[in-house]
Amino acid sequence: MAQPLVKKDDDRDDEAEYSPFLGIEKGAVLQEARIFNDPQLDPRRCSQVITRLLYLLNQGESFTKIEATEVFFAVTKLFQSKDIGLRRMVYLMIKELSPSADEVIIVTSSLMRDMNSKTDMYRANAIRVLCRITDGALLTQIERYLKQAIVDKNPVVASAALVSGIHLLQTNPEIVKRWSNEVQEAVQSRAALVQFHALALLHQIRQNDRLAVSKLVTSLTRGTVRSPLAQCLLIRYASQVIKESSNMQTGDRPFYDYLEGCLRHKAEMVIFEAARAITELSGVTSRELTPAITVLQLFLSSSKPVLRFAAVRTLNKVAMTHPMAVTNCNIDMESLISDQNRSIATLAITTLLKTGNESSIDRLMKQITNFMSDIADEFKIVVVEAIRSLCLKFPLKYRSLMNFLSNILREEGGFEYKKAIVDSIVILIRDIPDAKESGLMHLCEFIEDCEFTYLSTQILHFLGIEGPKTSDPSKYIRYIYNRVILENATVRASAVSTLAKFGAMVDALKPRIFVLLRRCLFDSDDEDFALDDCYLSLHSGVRDRATLYLNTLGGDGTVVETDKDVKDFLFGSLDVPLVNLETSLKNYEPSEEPFDFSSVPREVKSQPIAEKKAPGKKPTGLGAPPPGPTAAIDAYEKLLSSIPEFSSFGKLFKSSAPVELTEAETEYAVNVVKHIFDKHVVFQYNCTNTIPEQMLENVIVIVDTSEAEEFSEVASKPLRSLPYDTPGQTFVAFEKPEGVPAVGKFSNMLRFIVKEVDPSTGEAEDDGVEDEYQLEDLEVVAADYMLKVGVSNFKNAWDSMDPDIERVDEYGLGPRESLAEAVSAVISLLGMQPCEGTESIPSNSRSHTCLLSGVYIGNVKVLVRLSFGIDAQREVAMKLAVTSDDEAVSDAIHEIVASG
Amino acid sequence: MLLAVLFANSEGNILVERFNGVPAEERLHWRSFLVKLGADNLKGVKNEELLVACHKSVYIVYTVLGDVSIFVVGKDAYDELALAEVIFVITSAVKDVCGKPPTERLFLDKYGKICLCLDEIVWKGLLENTEKDRIKRLIRLKPPTEV
Repeated sequence: MAQPLVKKDDDRDDEAEYSPFLGIEKGAVLQEARIFNDPQLDPRRCSQVITRLLYLLNQGESFTKIEATEVFFAVTKLFQSKDIGLRRMVYLMIKELSPSADEVIIVTSSLMRDMNSKTDMYRANAIRVLCRITDGALLTQIERYLKQAIVDKNPVVASAALVSGIHLLQTNPEIVKRWSNEVQEAVQSRAALVQFHALALLHQIRQNDRLAVSKLVTSLTRGTVRSPLAQCLLIRYASQVIKESSNMQTGDRPFYDYLEGCLRHKAEMVIFEAARAITELSGVTSRELTPAITVLQLFLSSSKPVLRFAAVRTLNKVAMTHPMAVTNCNIDMESLISDQNRSIATLAITTLLKTGNESSIDRLMKQITNFMSDIADEFKIVVVEAIRSLCLKFPLKYRSLMNFLSNILREEGGFEYKKAIVDSIVILIRDIPDAKESGLMHLCEFIEDCEFTYLSTQILHFLGIEGPKTSDPSKYIRYIYNRVILENATVRASAVSTLAKFGAMVDALKPRIFVLLRRCLFDSDDEDFALDDCYLSLHSGVRDRATLYLNTLGGDGTVVETDKDVKDFLFGSLDVPLVNLETSLKNYEPSEEPFDFSSVPREVKSQPIAEKKAPGKKPTGLGAPPPGPTAAIDAYEKLLSSIPEFSSFGKLFKSSAPVELTEAETEYAVNVVKHIFDKHVVFQYNCTNTIPEQMLENVIVIVDTSEAEEFSEVASKPLRSLPYDTPGQTFVAFEKPEGVPAVGKFSNMLRFIVKEVDPSTGEAEDDGVEDEYQLEDLEVVAADYMLKVGVSNFKNAWDSMDPDIERVDEYGLGPRESLAEAVSAVISLLGMQPCEGTESIPSNSRSHTCLLSGVYIGNVKVLVRLSFGIDAQREVAMKLAVTSDDEAVSDAIHEIVASG
Repeated sequence: MLLAVLFANSEGNILVERFNGVPAEERLHWRSFLVKLGADNLKGVKNEELLVACHKSVYIVYTVLGDVSIFVVGKDAYDELALAEVIFVITSAVKDVCGKPPTERLFLDKYGKICLCLDEIVWKGLLENTEKDRIKRLIRLKPPTEV
């Protein structure tokens, strides 16, 4: 190897630091590679040059196409040398260069010769190189040798062929699949590694054949598996078989005894794999789980970090589904909090937070505090979320948990981390009344020095709602007014709104609030005020807000609006989705007529594609309910108002999602949209003709209302013509009793005149025949009279309703598939908007509370609180509490559920 | 799949880097991520003491040997335990070639042999050989002793 120019008598430390590759340069090394062409090869020098080439490649240096070709051709010359060390380097070098298809031919014959060599090691290496650089055509030529190699008595040769097979299966599966007999034989090999490689390949070949995999697993679990690596593979394959067969059989679980037996294997790898497989069995019982947890517990105190990590990672997962099973490990887990490896420590903490009991919380929090300062934000967020759920589980412990949250809130951290903490505090304040005052104070202190505008505005908004209801609201004013002095325009505007809310709610504070609001009139700069996520900011900037609130609250000496109006204005949730409001404002053209707020559509529209799809929303800690697109409603309204027959029906209350009345891929595709008015219902049939040789005319739907007695047909609008692939609409309108949520079933028949179309000219014949086409039935249900309208804060909304109108009753829903299924059935029966993410249910929950809000026909606001419980026989019981602006509507909701 | 094997010196310079199934544009990111991981955690760690990390479904096991840090990255079947096995094979092969935990200089002196060892241990992302004595023979094209 080329030595650096260092004299012997130089300092030895210096020498040690010199790299043999110091100053290495690609060009020079490529020059050196020319010695490969020498007639008299010097194997030692050649090996050195190859090493230098490898060094370059391993450093990320790349060769141009020409350079690579040149080196490759030169390297092939080295096959002439009989030197074994050099030959080994040559094999490696060819693989590294991965020559292109047209160059491979140069080495093929040399490699084929080596592949048939008497020297085993030449054979093994030649196989590996050939398989690396080969293409399909060459593979067919060498297939015979490879099949032989798989069963070669030399394990190195067999392994080389088997591992080649695993790689080649990706590119040439049909060829490799022909080797399964040989591979099968290799699985029985006495050489441990051969068995490992053969098992992996055989499983890959057969992975789509369940029966074959099951047979393979059955025979091997009874036989001997020599290598721990192969044993691990077998465990994985066995758990796959268990998973796939568990649906079919009951009683004893197949292969459980095998898995349990593996827990006593001498290799840690195998023990762990078996333990993990057991914990992941679907519907695992605690009896099955116990031996696995016991070995994992032993790993927790292993001296090897990898084992500790693996064990705590697995136990963390188990804790999500079977927290009780893991509690035995808590003591070992606690000692891992101080583990040097932060990943292990975080996993230990979050596991403990899931399994901890009330008495251990204080001790746990102490340990976590020391730990938080030296982990990354992403770990911290995990911990904060775990603490939040723990606090909800043990509300009595709110004091220490809230203190912890407030302490970490003061420390350094990025936006996501801080948001996670603030969200947690807000949720705790909402759910644990005792925690309110201290929680609000922590938030106040936080906004004194908060660099995130978003968080400041959200907290100010929250303070405005919760602060006035506390025993001493005045103590928050200082913090809020400080924001008006010190912050940017967005935060200042939020602070002004919050002040106004205190003024409206707390009479004693009103005069002083006026003083502060008047000062805000001199606010200097609100030009850069931007819309933020808080809906209140829609109102306007700092000075405008102050003026508006002074006016509303009567601070400028003008006529005061009624107390209720003021509160509605300040606290009422903006009951239209923001997107709808935005669209309406954009469409509004400045004129004499003021913008009519009530003209804004109020429904949160999910997807107007199919009715069955329930909207999925993520739970949010702060903020208003998420809005949705409204374009479809606007379009419907325009369309209907343009039809003279329907123009007298008044304001459109709701349009349903389209309901399909035909199967997919039929001659005529028809779906229907139900438009609900106060006294009328209009069915809009959207029709598509999918036959190119036909033209339909005078298309109308004949509706039979014998099962919908309260409806009588008043008008219909036929579709004049329905050419191929051009959708058109026909309408039928019904009268129904005013304001009554009448329900019924309608049967539909499509009637039309069909005319043949000449495909060459596209013209229809003059004469047509009358024909009919049966459509599916359609129902008008109670949910059609309900608009999905969310509220931003359910509890506040509920508390603001008249308690006398609340109606509570209990219902048995009978045996159900799951709690989630029962919840979603009731949601879709009522057609209301789930609030605060309560439509999603943690798996394995035995009880759940779901909050719904909506607007019932007649513009009656309705709030529903559903409490579900499920017993061991899957019988679901439900308590339904309804409150609304109208007693009759509360009763009506109960009737819907009772008859649904 | 064994996604990467990487050797770096104590200053974080790459000595050997082999990726399998990692797109070229992601390699640089992986390299700097691993080097940073080593710089943050490997100080004061004893020879061959294993450290472990995971990011989503990808596992990383790493250690120091003399002046050299070694990282292996895997996913799916190559979880933390399989990687521990891989890194054990690698460290014992390197020690065997160098005769002791290597200085950077010694590592570079034995560079060619180390490349051959790696070639025997990992083949395009799959673990092939696991015993150092066998590897030692294989890189000299000698058949394993059991034959």
